[in-house]
Amino acid sequence: MDSQAFIRQKFAEFYEENADKIEAPPLIKQREFGFMVFQENIMVRHKSFLNAEALRTYMKEAAPAHAYHSTAYYELPEERMENKGWLGADLYFDIDADHIATKCKETHDQWTCKDCGFGGKGQPDVCPACGGRRFDQKTWPCDECLGAAKRETIKLVEMLTAEFGFTENEVEVSFSGHRGYHVHVAAETAREMDAGARKELVDYITGTGLNVALFSPEATPLTSDSVSWQSRIAKGAYEFLRTTTTKDLIGLGMKEKRATNLLSKKQLILESWKKRGPWWQIEGIIKKEEVNMFINQVIEQQSAKIDTMVTTDIHRLIRLLNSLHGKTGWLKVAFPASTIDAFDPLKSAVAFKRGEVKLYVEKTHRFRIGDEWYGGYENREVELPTAAAVFLLCKDAAKLVD
Amino acid sequence: MALTITDQAKYPFVIDAADEVKRQDIDISNLDNPSFKPIVDRAFDRIEEALNSNPPQVSYHPQEEAIETPSFPIAIIIAAASNSDYIKRRYALAEAIRAFGLLQQEEDREKIIKVAKIFNWKIRTPTIPVGHRRFDFALFFVDYLRNAEVFHEDEWKLVNKILAKGEVYVNKHEAARLLQEEIRRRIEKRLTANVRSMLPEAILQRVDGLSQKYASRIERARLSMFPKEVVNEAFPPCIHLFYGSAKTGTHISHLGRFTLTSFLINVNMKPEEIVNLFRASADFNERMTRYQVEHIAGDRGSRTKYRSPTCDTLKTHALCPGPDELCKKIRSPLRYYSQKTRTLKK
Repeated sequence: MDSQAFIRQKFAEFYEENADKIEAPPLIKQREFGFMVFQENIMVRHKSFLNAEALRTYMKEAAPAHAYHSTAYYELPEERMENKGWLGADLYFDIDADHIATKCKETHDQWTCKDCGFGGKGQPDVCPACGGRRFDQKTWPCDECLGAAKRETIKLVEMLTAEFGFTENEVEVSFSGHRGYHVHVAAETAREMDAGARKELVDYITGTGLNVALFSPEATPLTSDSVSWQSRIAKGAYEFLRTTTTKDLIGLGMKEKRATNLLSKKQLILESWKKRGPWWQIEGIIKKEEVNMFINQVIEQQSAKIDTMVTTDIHRLIRLLNSLHGKTGWLKVAFPASTIDAFDPLKSAVAFKRGEVKLYVEKTHRFRIGDEWYGGYENREVELPTAAAVFLLCKDAAKLVD
Repeated sequence: MALTITDQAKYPFVIDAADEVKRQDIDISNLDNPSFKPIVDRAFDRIEEALNSNPPQVSYHPQEEAIETPSFPIAIIIAAASNSDYIKRRYALAEAIRAFGLLQQEEDREKIIKVAKIFNWKIRTPTIPVGHRRFDFALFFVDYLRNAEVFHEDEWKLVNKILAKGEVYVNKHEAARLLQEEIRRRIEKRLTANVRSMLPEAILQRVDGLSQKYASRIERARLSMFPKEVVNEAFPPCIHLFYGSAKTGTHISHLGRFTLTSFLINVNMKPEEIVNLFRASADFNERMTRYQVEHIAGDRGSRTKYRSPTCDTLKTHALCPGPDELCKKIRSPLRYYSQKTRTLKK
């Protein structure tokens, strides 16, 4: 049996047993569904279901590699895009390790230049051999990347509740089943927002277009009580200066002499920032560009790195909850936002819990599933628990041994 | 507190137009009846004021409620019957600006809240200062964004506002300005009704006379045309970059490709040439590219010709390569091109 057929068989077995756990999105009748099927490798779109039962039956029969539904509500979800009749859409956020720079990518992500065939590790902008910019990427989910994505998700959830005022019940957090997290806001009050309004919301989350000159000059780092970027920037700049080192400042492009000089006056500046505003102007001691540099650092640290296209696209398809991800064999699973610190995706998303599978592995990185670590195999046959085996097969990192 | 007669004359859009006409016992097919003449005359006045002032504005006549209030729904019918987008847009804007001016003068914040509630805003007057400032109003961020998203100044960006527990904090001037947008949209929506068949011939003649009088202005208001031939030197930095990438087959993001294609279509590049531009890309598929280009050009699918994304959108998705001097004065790549081609001509 080839690997694809084997994965499909495993997915089919899983759905046969677990299809009843698939949760239909709210107002299922008004959603468009899309499925990526094995073998043909094509996307079947514009489908709709009357109820959760019909959807579950379909999942059992089709056992797709990927299952999606629209964030949008439509009058006629099966029609062509221009005739669907858009009624509204849930707010949706995608945080993916692909969009976050992590050091570990240098060790586990691989690329091959589509133009010249040259390859290497990490995520290059241009091919060092030919200058090409189109790559085949082989990505790998690891604890560090997932941890980075989780930190961004925590910042996002904080903004959605404290600033945008959504209740914890309205903010549904889930692990995507691959390299990141999804945040779904199903609040009725947010449905009507058009793409332009969502763009402004995205700019807020990413700190785009911030202009400190518009903030209250009285809001000093320590007296700033409210949320919003005004207080975040004031407190953040204060914290940054308090903890930064000459080395950090040089790393940000400052000359060594200037950095030492600035840090020697650190206490003076911090005291003045506490007392009166505008805190970002202190004539003669700190330059405007330097304050801007601090501010940009705070934005970098405190904004949440969301995929801007996903949130502003009001016709987007997103992964169905409790369905399998075809690139890993892991589940997309939701959990309460308050438990995110303790949430372990590599435990909660495991779908295949029985049996073992024989594989031939050429080479693979280390990976964890549940509490067990696997990997480090080179050119040999191994027998692995089904979850680990399906993961390697989905990643095209192993071959099935009959 | 109910809306007083004065309020109704100040903010006539708060009443449903059809209800108002019914309430005043006005039969539209009978509008040429001499007894309605003062109201109909004032209705025409409202529109002419809008067309003759800049920024367009309709005047306020205190204590003439008996004519002022019913003249508004009649003016709506007349503007709708003009079938001229220019007249409709201009009139809706003028009435909205009129309301903005009156709202700003309201001493009582409750009056503003009352008008806002007509549009289902969730709004209240905060009692304690937030972020070291006192604000007149706190309103639900969705209501804020629905109206502020069309403003481009930094001070309107949500990221520069105080936002807490779902509420944006604004002062009276800002609340009035946001309401102006809401009012403008509501009036524009009402102006889409097809009313010509209901109107008596005499009124229709007057409406057509009005359209004719301003016909030359309507022509001028159409988007200034771009040159027939594409002027590459007038491309803004972003388009220049995408264009170069396309030619060398370098990867461009989906939105980048859409921006480039819609831009080139709008500046009159032939679809055939655009398809050829993407030929260098290694995953070039002629049939797919042609389909997409024709779709964006409005020759297929929904038949809408797409406008090119604005600078704002490109910034949100980190596709703006950084502005040059002219960029700072415009808001979209197409505007840049239109200005630059004009200066290059000189």
